[in-house]
Amino acid sequence: MSALRNIAKTALAILREIADENAYERHLRAQNTKHSKDEWRRFCELRFNAKYRRAKCC
Amino acid sequence: MKKLLGHLTWAAIAVLGAYFLGGIALNRGESINSMWLVVASVCLYLVGFRFYAKFIAAKVMALNDERATPAERLRDGHDFEPTNKWIVFGHHFAAIAGPGPLVGPTLAAQFGYLPGTLWIIIGAVLGGCVQDFIILFCSMRRNGKSLGQMAREEIGKVGGFTALLTVLLIMIILLAVVALVVVNALKDSPWGTFTIAATMPIAVFMGLYLRYLRPGKVLEVSVIGFILVVASIFGGQWVSESSTWSPWFTYGGIALAWAVIFYGFLASALPVWLLLAPRDYLSTFVKLGVVLMLGVGILFVRPEMKMPAFTQFVDGTGPIFAGKVFPFCFITIACGAISGFHSLISSGTTPKMIAKEWHAWPVGYGSMALESFVAVMAMISACVLDPGIYFAINSPAGVVGATADKAVAMISSWGYPVTVGAMRELAANVGEETLFYRTGGAPSLALGMAHIFASSVGGKVILGFWYHFAIMFEALFILTIIDAGTRVGRFMLQDLLGHVYKPLGRTGWMPGVIVASAAIVLGWGYFLIQGVKDPLGGINSLWPLFGIANQLLAAIAMCVATTILVKMHRAKYMWITCIPLTWLVVVCYSAAIEKIFSDVPRIGFLSQANVLQAALDAGRIPEAQLAATQAQIFNNRLDAVVCAIFLVLVTTILADSVRLWYRILTGGQPARVVEAEFVLSRLRPEEV
Repeated sequence: MSALRNIAKTALAILREIADENAYERHLRAQNTKHSKDEWRRFCELRFNAKYRRAKCC
Repeated sequence: MKKLLGHLTWAAIAVLGAYFLGGIALNRGESINSMWLVVASVCLYLVGFRFYAKFIAAKVMALNDERATPAERLRDGHDFEPTNKWIVFGHHFAAIAGPGPLVGPTLAAQFGYLPGTLWIIIGAVLGGCVQDFIILFCSMRRNGKSLGQMAREEIGKVGGFTALLTVLLIMIILLAVVALVVVNALKDSPWGTFTIAATMPIAVFMGLYLRYLRPGKVLEVSVIGFILVVASIFGGQWVSESSTWSPWFTYGGIALAWAVIFYGFLASALPVWLLLAPRDYLSTFVKLGVVLMLGVGILFVRPEMKMPAFTQFVDGTGPIFAGKVFPFCFITIACGAISGFHSLISSGTTPKMIAKEWHAWPVGYGSMALESFVAVMAMISACVLDPGIYFAINSPAGVVGATADKAVAMISSWGYPVTVGAMRELAANVGEETLFYRTGGAPSLALGMAHIFASSVGGKVILGFWYHFAIMFEALFILTIIDAGTRVGRFMLQDLLGHVYKPLGRTGWMPGVIVASAAIVLGWGYFLIQGVKDPLGGINSLWPLFGIANQLLAAIAMCVATTILVKMHRAKYMWITCIPLTWLVVVCYSAAIEKIFSDVPRIGFLSQANVLQAALDAGRIPEAQLAATQAQIFNNRLDAVVCAIFLVLVTTILADSVRLWYRILTGGQPARVVEAEFVLSRLRPEEV
């Protein structure tokens, strides 16, 4: 049962990583700030600028 | 005792893999169950991972968990962050999985299931996985540097510039060919066109939701987006059955091509958060979900393979694309066996997330093995169709005849019986007007997947839903590649243009953005229109061009990897990268030379141009087709030039690398490794 729970936890963590939600949490921690609309926009600007400069795989 | 049990288990896996591989390789004349392919491939990936990759990790790379990775040393809370290895694995797999491993095997199935399957498995175990793993390692030891930067620093300035130019050219061909796959899938299909058109307002809604309503809730909005996309599939069915709405979403190839070109321009110039990013999230989740569903579906249904092991088209007379099994099977399947594009991902985000050096083993090698398994599943999906139906869908009118009667007569004469009635019934079952001449691989793959899904859930009644679900899934992430690729191409071009006129290099300067976006879009748009107008179906010329380009990029990655091994004083292990490199060079040069110079007009670009020119000069072309023929002649010559440019670029980097290896190995130049310095890792196990 705990193995299943671990798999589900890891799967959710992978989805959150792909969704940039983990990255946003790290951003909030690094900036020592709280979630807000403006902070999310600042994060998106930084994140997307780096992310969409790289080729996507075929 | 535990050790002995471990040895016995691995021996059993190896024997099982060999038995099943032997089974599929030696079977002739009887249909086999798809589970033979599944078991053979899984066992070989496991053996390759456990023994070959571990050998490379321990002896060649000497991975060391005591050494701090860039994620730890340069931790910044943004790009550099030590991350759990399974999360990096999932993230990396999601980044490397594209349409290539699905479309390539579907097209290569024209040779039968065996050549493609063997290449997918062996190519991945000895080539593709090794490339991804070694480039990831090299980038990780160099603070996450890109392939281009490593080529410049390790080989020289010529190598760096060549790599950059090659990537830009490959992007243009890649975008054209994947756009062609979408256009051919949506041609005269109101159901498919409506569904895909609906994904755009859905993506914009998701962008606005994330920006203004619930910032940061990406998973939440992705679930909403997915529900809306599934609803749009049902909406598409209603549209296709409505005599009022159906004509609004029924378009020919040229109109759809212009729509995709316009979309690419818009997505490149619009703010990322509005269209590109939300669509990217949605397509990644749908992609992962569908791959998982396909795996479960194949295990549940265990379908029979109806395609023979070999078809007569190994001799080069195939209707889908012309060319013998060697070298064309090996360039048609790139992603899934070995793909140069993966080296860009392995030297992108992933090396900045690896917490411990040994994590590169499952992430680099393991993710590619999983991608290769996706390619095996695509091969199964294509081969569970009746071969007659497979060829009727994928063959262009220029090869099998312009009417349904002529097409079925021609395909049946090859020994793959099919009737107009059966094709009509199938088209009606999936809600399409016709399934003839749907070249590009996507429709036949969608049909194979729909067959597997419908056998698991819903039966024949919802075959149409599953077919359009599969088309939606393919088109969704192909369009994501088009918008992201156009944007990346724009940045690369702006980098180059900035040297000519500085403001053009500023990514925020609107005139520069518009000029560069338009140039990139027109670049791939030109090849797309050429493919749509091609009477041989477009795929015949564009897919091999893309395959050659992608494999040549893999050759560049292998040159970089070999150079680094030589500099690390690991020359005795050069064979690990040199064997796949030699194979890639032989395959790509053979294919490129054939594509340029072959006497067979369906294969050789120049010979096709000459045949058309001769017909033109002799006055055998009707006046109404004069302009189209002249354009075809020009396009064939252009394709030959592009192919030659690829060869020149790769020959340059190859010659530069071999010269460097020779000088280092003969003591003419010191072997200076450009690695980051050793820093002791202080990361505690609970932190990863």
